Amino acid sequence: MAFSLTSLSKSLSSLLPSQHSLPNLPQNPPNFAPPVSQSDPKSTSIRLSSCLTTPAEETNAITCPSFAYANTLFFKSGHYNVQVVVADNEPEDKLLGRFRRAVFKAGVIQECKRRMFFESSQEKKKRKVREASKRNRRRRPKPKDSAQSKEETSKKDDDEEDGDNWELPEGDLPY
Amino acid sequence: MLEPPLSCQLSITRKSALSFNNTIVTVTDVWGRVVSWSSASTCGFKGTRKGTPLAAQTAVGNAIRAVVDQCMQRAEVMIKGPGLERDAALRAIRRSGILLSFVRDVTPMPHNGYRHPKKT
Repeated sequence: MAFSLTSLSKSLSSLLPSQHSLPNLPQNPPNFAPPVSQSDPKSTSIRLSSCLTTPAEETNAITCPSFAYANTLFFKSGHYNVQVVVADNEPEDKLLGRFRRAVFKAGVIQECKRRMFFESSQEKKKRKVREASKRNRRRRPKPKDSAQSKEETSKKDDDEEDGDNWELPEGDLPY
Repeated sequence: MLEPPLSCQLSITRKSALSFNNTIVTVTDVWGRVVSWSSASTCGFKGTRKGTPLAAQTAVGNAIRAVVDQCMQRAEVMIKGPGLERDAALRAIRRSGILLSFVRDVTPMPHNGYRHPKKT
């Protein structure tokens, strides 16, 4: 009886996972900082080439693969309109300003407002015309001959007033 | 068992529907599993006050407080939806002392989706 119990316990212990069978995790937590340099604050895109460069990262890939590729998974998954990489010592106002400017440039809030209600074909045409005029105004600045053009228009007005034949001529009528 | 997250994702969703506005803050780990969440309504705000920047700030504070005990060091912020609450929430996150990796705007943009309600 005792022999059968011991043999049973041995077989069970061999089947069950041992407590010391866990892989040795690295003592230092892996660095989850994005692989792109943060020197250029204007850049909003991220390059995914060469994610695992250092030997520490490569060993992480072997020991705990989920940690090593966590950053790349996150970058690849989903779609974003705007991304602003944050430096550690960046002041709060500067970060906010940078984010707001990036969002404005991407036109996110404008797009959201446009899509709140249905836009008829007429409203769509008006919007397109407004946008086109804004774009053309930026491309073609107004000419600086406004003073000369004003003088010309005033002269033209005087000529027209003199040549206006609505007033009755002086003197008696011929008939 | 969920391991304590070393890096977290903070998602701020500003819900704007026809009848209500709210700010929801979700904290997840790197793989997307939710660790904690908070919203303006859970912080005690009701009605139109849910859509205010103050409500967003308190919601963020509540969500972060629950996670700071679990030794959260770095976070990545994802903001969804328009509004003034975005700035207030981002400011609150920055002031809480958590290191930010990046801030993303993930507002969903349809490729000309369904027909929206008529303009009132």
